[in-house]
Amino acid sequence: MKKKTESILGMAFFGPALVLLTLFLFVPMVLTLIFSFTDFFALNPGLTHFVGLDNYFQVFKDEDFRQAFGNTVKFVLIIVPLQGLGALGLALLINRVTRCKTYFKVAFFIPVVMSLAVVSTLWVQIYSPEGILNSLLAGLGIDAKPFIHSSAQALPSIAIMSAWQGVGYQMIIFLGGLQAINPALYEAAEMDHASGWQKFRDITLPELKPLCVFVFITITIGAFRMLVQPMVMTGGGPSHSTYTMVYDIYETGTVNWEIGLASTMAIVFAFFVMILTVIQTILTRDKEGKKHVYKKAKKN
Amino acid sequence: MFTKKQKRINVVLVAVMLVMSLFFLFPVIWMLANSFKTDAAITGDMNSLAAFIPPELSGSFLDNYISVLTDTNFIRYMANTLFYAAVLIVLGIIVNGLAGYALAKINFPFKERWLLIIMLLMIVPMETIITIHFLFIAKLGLLNNIIGYVLPMIVNPFNIFLFRQVFVSLPDDVYEAAQLDFCSPVKYFFTMVLPMSKSVVATVSVFTFLNVWNDYLWPSLVFTSSDLLTAQIGLNAITSNENTTMGQTLAVITLVTIPVIIIYALFSKQIVEGVVSTGSKEG
Amino acid sequence: MSFIELKNVCKQYANTNKKAVTDFNLEIEEKEFIAFVGPSGCGKSTTLRMIAGFEEITSGELYIDGKKMNEIAPRDRGISMVFQNYALYPHMTVEKNIGYGLKNMKVPAKEIKEKVDWAIEILGLSEYRYRKPKNLSGGQRQRVALGRAIVKNQKVFLMDEPLSNLDAKLRVSMRNEISKLHRSLGSTTIYVTHDQVEAMTMADRIVIMKDGIVQQIGRPMEVYEHPVNKFVAGFIGSPQMNFFDVTVDGNKIMFADGNSIGVTDEMAEKLKKYNRRLIFGIRGEDIKFDPQNLDIYKENRQQAVIDNTEIMGNENNLYFEFGGVTAVARVSKYEVCKIGDKVDFVIVPHKIHFFDIDTEEAVIL
Repeated sequence: MKKKTESILGMAFFGPALVLLTLFLFVPMVLTLIFSFTDFFALNPGLTHFVGLDNYFQVFKDEDFRQAFGNTVKFVLIIVPLQGLGALGLALLINRVTRCKTYFKVAFFIPVVMSLAVVSTLWVQIYSPEGILNSLLAGLGIDAKPFIHSSAQALPSIAIMSAWQGVGYQMIIFLGGLQAINPALYEAAEMDHASGWQKFRDITLPELKPLCVFVFITITIGAFRMLVQPMVMTGGGPSHSTYTMVYDIYETGTVNWEIGLASTMAIVFAFFVMILTVIQTILTRDKEGKKHVYKKAKKN
Repeated sequence: MFTKKQKRINVVLVAVMLVMSLFFLFPVIWMLANSFKTDAAITGDMNSLAAFIPPELSGSFLDNYISVLTDTNFIRYMANTLFYAAVLIVLGIIVNGLAGYALAKINFPFKERWLLIIMLLMIVPMETIITIHFLFIAKLGLLNNIIGYVLPMIVNPFNIFLFRQVFVSLPDDVYEAAQLDFCSPVKYFFTMVLPMSKSVVATVSVFTFLNVWNDYLWPSLVFTSSDLLTAQIGLNAITSNENTTMGQTLAVITLVTIPVIIIYALFSKQIVEGVVSTGSKEG
Repeated sequence: MSFIELKNVCKQYANTNKKAVTDFNLEIEEKEFIAFVGPSGCGKSTTLRMIAGFEEITSGELYIDGKKMNEIAPRDRGISMVFQNYALYPHMTVEKNIGYGLKNMKVPAKEIKEKVDWAIEILGLSEYRYRKPKNLSGGQRQRVALGRAIVKNQKVFLMDEPLSNLDAKLRVSMRNEISKLHRSLGSTTIYVTHDQVEAMTMADRIVIMKDGIVQQIGRPMEVYEHPVNKFVAGFIGSPQMNFFDVTVDGNKIMFADGNSIGVTDEMAEKLKKYNRRLIFGIRGEDIKFDPQNLDIYKENRQQAVIDNTEIMGNENNLYFEFGGVTAVARVSKYEVCKIGDKVDFVIVPHKIHFFDIDTEEAVIL
């Protein structure tokens, strides 16, 4: 084919995507960056001024945003070990059992199938003061807990629920990784008189390491982006104890119309998420883990 | 091959895990069992094992479901979401697929650079720019309009990249053979490339569906009119209504989950494949 | 003007300073079967793809049926092509694969069916009509690819190593089928292969290429009997022609290991101008061990110890050290030798080839 015809064809094929990418990704990104240096108020756009770094100082001084950031960090500290190690543990156990394997895989995966809005709505009932969880605890002789109705327990409660919802997803990833380990390694270790624990420590863990990095950072990024759970369950309360960064961006931008300030928050938020993504990409660059799982998944 | 000891450990392990799985699933079991009960029965059963057992089959067994389906806009919300998903799947495959094909197989100016830009765009979290999207759509007067909802969601750098990775390994000689068979490039894309790449088309379709079905923030911003709500937003509208009973709430969330379960059952292979490749871009 | 004509066709890829194909000149008559042969990377496939239009012609001209084709799209060149990896449409049945081109040419459905039926019939694909490519064997896929090419009634057939993915046995039978098909359809065919046996057995004329340059064009026996240079001599024929570095000393040709054979005065006279040093080439079958030949050329008898033998049934290859290299002779099955046997042999004088030691061009005697 002639070069010119091919160029035209290529641009024709790529064109629609390029137009949409420009309109809905590139331009919004640039605008967000520009607005973050202004006091743009959508209800009165005429009064917009360039305010330099004022928004950034304000955001870091802002009580709500600081609390939202602190909540996010707290949320990460609870959910990452819970969901990550939980997924790894479940995968190791399921990989080990010889019976009911499919049942276990499906059982622990079911909450993944439910949307965040569904899970949140359901757990509002579960966590209710007269709800099923308190009645189960009562059966074990434990006093009723306020859960999402107390500022001390709300965030951990949401974190536990979120880990419950998501753990099956990472479990599947780990299962793929485990199945991709060459069985000959275990056979060789057996010949070398390795104990079960030694095999786990010297073969399983090193082989899963890249996958662990990938999974743990994925959970962290997900935690940074949390919004639906507090939106549905607590409205960010009680007393802002479940307020998150994205929640703050959403309220500032689309409820209060303070686009300038919301843009600044969005830039700060994007900064953290993109740093995490870049770290993840660098640490899993060889994509060993990913590739293994991918291949394995293809075979099944 | 297992030794006797290992066999015994295995039996114990399976037993322990069965119990674990029941505890793990207690919210789901409770949801299903009580979605068939009146609120009085739910509260009455709360402190006994009956809380996890569905009521007897009687005339009122399906009352919650029937009232949700007939008294609320629920079916409308489900139909809306299916329609939005269908539109986005078709447009998404055309737009992202064509772009992925161009980046994989056609020589055009700055091709390598475009690919790099696409890969960089993949790491931008959507939450960052959703405010601007909202501003755009509001300014264009497209709030409460399906076009306003769909437009920002069509293009997806991740899907472009996924398509590109699959298309790049398609054999060139098939394209050459098709040229000699008088097949135009556009026709080749739709009648050859897409059918030859069924697996990735299915993966992208399934994930687009799940994305549309589960999405919360964007539809909650664009749609306020009850006629246009998606299932997730509609669910919130129904359950936050004071007249909705707990049993009806549980029935609604069960119903909202059913289509997703069907999708997972039909496409478990594509989903497991996609679980890893979407990794950092879930939701 | 010939049916297909290539005039000084060159190919140079961007960002390289070496030409992939240099000054390719060829005239092909209608209904001729031409084979391009050479080692991998010699430019034979590139040339074919330039004729098809999948590669741009950097310079030079291509004419098909009197029309200049350089700027014409592949589909409008009146060609059909069989690809090395078949390039079947994986999601279409055999029938759909074969009829696809006709459908796109807006041929009436009835006519398509007739043509597809005909192709399926002559290619013996009747029982596979509704199968998809993945459920076919290599040979069957090859037939489908052929079927797709023949139904379109194009005047020119291009085949790019069509048999290279088949096993040895199937290759021989497909070779015959393609030859027969060519004879019955009479379409002009250009066939690319790295296998000199395919080229020799199928083609009317062979084009031998190396490093993007045409080495020789000729009928099979012509290139076999009269190779223009050492490369062609070595490439065509199996086992490979034996080459020795020799010096000419009057009526004697001296080998590196001190052995020598005599030549006629007439030949010695002609060899004089070649600087004394030459490459001496002789094909395996022109080294003779039988009593009759030993008797005819008795003044040039040589002795050798058999190093190794390859028994092939109809004939055998014998390996022995001679003239500083390992030489191979091809003998009939009646001449039995064992490893270690000390035997006499002669070289048939009028079958000797000489090549210039620097240019490797054949020295015409």
